[in-house]
Amino acid sequence: MRKSRLTALFAVLLLALAAVAAAGCGGGSDTTGTSGGGGSAEGGGGGEPLTVGSDIPYPPFEQGKSPDYEGFDIELMEAIGEKIGRTPEFQDTSFETIFRDVAQGKFEAVISAATITEEREKEVAFSDPYYLSEQAILVKEGSEIGGIEDLEGKTVGAQQGTTGLELGKEKANAGELRPYPEGPDAINALKAGTVEAVIIDQPVAQNAVEEEGGIEISESVPTEESYGIALAKDNTELLKEINKGLAEVISDGTYKTIYEKWFHKEPPKQFLG
Amino acid sequence: MSQFFNQYFNFDVMREHFGEVLVGFLQNLLVFAVAAVLALALGLFLALLRQLPGKKLMPIRFLTIAYIDFFRAVPILIIILMISGGVPFLSFLPQEVRIPHWFGRPDPFWYGVAALVIVYGAFSAEVYRAGIEAVPRGQMEAARSLGMSHFQAMRHVVVPQGVTKIPAPMLNELISLLKDTTLVSVIALSESVLVSREVLSERLNSSSLTLTAIFFVIIILPLARVVDKLIARQQLKVTRGSHIEVA
Repeated sequence: MRKSRLTALFAVLLLALAAVAAAGCGGGSDTTGTSGGGGSAEGGGGGEPLTVGSDIPYPPFEQGKSPDYEGFDIELMEAIGEKIGRTPEFQDTSFETIFRDVAQGKFEAVISAATITEEREKEVAFSDPYYLSEQAILVKEGSEIGGIEDLEGKTVGAQQGTTGLELGKEKANAGELRPYPEGPDAINALKAGTVEAVIIDQPVAQNAVEEEGGIEISESVPTEESYGIALAKDNTELLKEINKGLAEVISDGTYKTIYEKWFHKEPPKQFLG
Repeated sequence: MSQFFNQYFNFDVMREHFGEVLVGFLQNLLVFAVAAVLALALGLFLALLRQLPGKKLMPIRFLTIAYIDFFRAVPILIIILMISGGVPFLSFLPQEVRIPHWFGRPDPFWYGVAALVIVYGAFSAEVYRAGIEAVPRGQMEAARSLGMSHFQAMRHVVVPQGVTKIPAPMLNELISLLKDTTLVSVIALSESVLVSREVLSERLNSSSLTLTAIFFVIIILPLARVVDKLIARQQLKVTRGSHIEVA
């Protein structure tokens, strides 16, 4: 009896040790990563790191595994960071609480394909627009759904807390509107056939069509909205810097390079240097 | 401090979204009701399989124990995601099983129910086992010596006595089942937590979640008191020194 209890104790200790070792390894590889954790404060590219919140994945705006995130937002933020002398450090976070968190200072800025809306502007400050948004109705190949008016009575997916979901509530008379935790969840549901259409940001839909196959965009809906970088309202200093950095990135053509890399087309006129 | 109250106890937010959250909560109750009935039935079935006699039936006992152990160990969230993310792609299944819309309920409802039944079937099987094994062996032996088969003895003698011993632990399982219905929100079933999170992202305020929590407390607290009472009554029987009464 006593012996078996000792063996059990030993096993538990061994497990704990393994966990600690694993955590140690994780920490070790982290410091060799690009963002460099705490180390970049002393060395690095000058200035304090800029903490940025983003809901990852949302390809092609943000994707990849920590700390090697990539995507249009990520590269744009890095380019802006270079101009203002601060290296962005990205934190993956949930979109539904992202504005509250930046308002409370959990991170300094948010770049997360976030549409500038009046409602959100009550809580946070937005930079100048950096992207003109369009929503897309994503359907299975060969679907009869030709546009937003055909969604009547259908089961439609969207991502929680997004303008796509708002559009669905306001314009599509869907039979059921399902808010998924992440955009890719909604797209998976479409592929599985549990929803008949998904309303999601146009480039995300485009990316999904190219990557997945079997699905297509039935209609792109211009929303006259644009994306901005969100900051806490009282952080006017940083807002000014980010706007200046964004303007420089646009005028020297870096914006165009990044845009073409991720969206395979020329950016709208206002973003050409 | 006022910030704290505004974030969690903003009564305007609660009032304005009361109806939506309540409808979501009814969805939780419905998932619970269906899952509870099926899980209790599955649990009893598994418990009986586990008690099958004889060497020949060893593989069945073994498989049952493996099932129970496995599903007690795996987080329900994983089961929910695996069913919802996998079953629709199994093209050998008929359409109405892959994407079930039975009784006018959407498919995430049934995926959620299935996951909860699979897992809570395993948990409740263990509770039944405790009840069955608490019945003195002599009961089974006596029944068999009267000429009853194993199944008849279980059906008429052992199980009826066994279940009188387990209402308290079983009620505890049901309470956690009710709470776990909120996990189905991850596959976009519009139950109370999903609705509250939607309100959270719209109003940037957590009071809708507080409201949901209140709904759960209102339902669960009386149940928890019932559990306490049942345990106290059982205790009394033992401390009086009387042998445990038979149904």
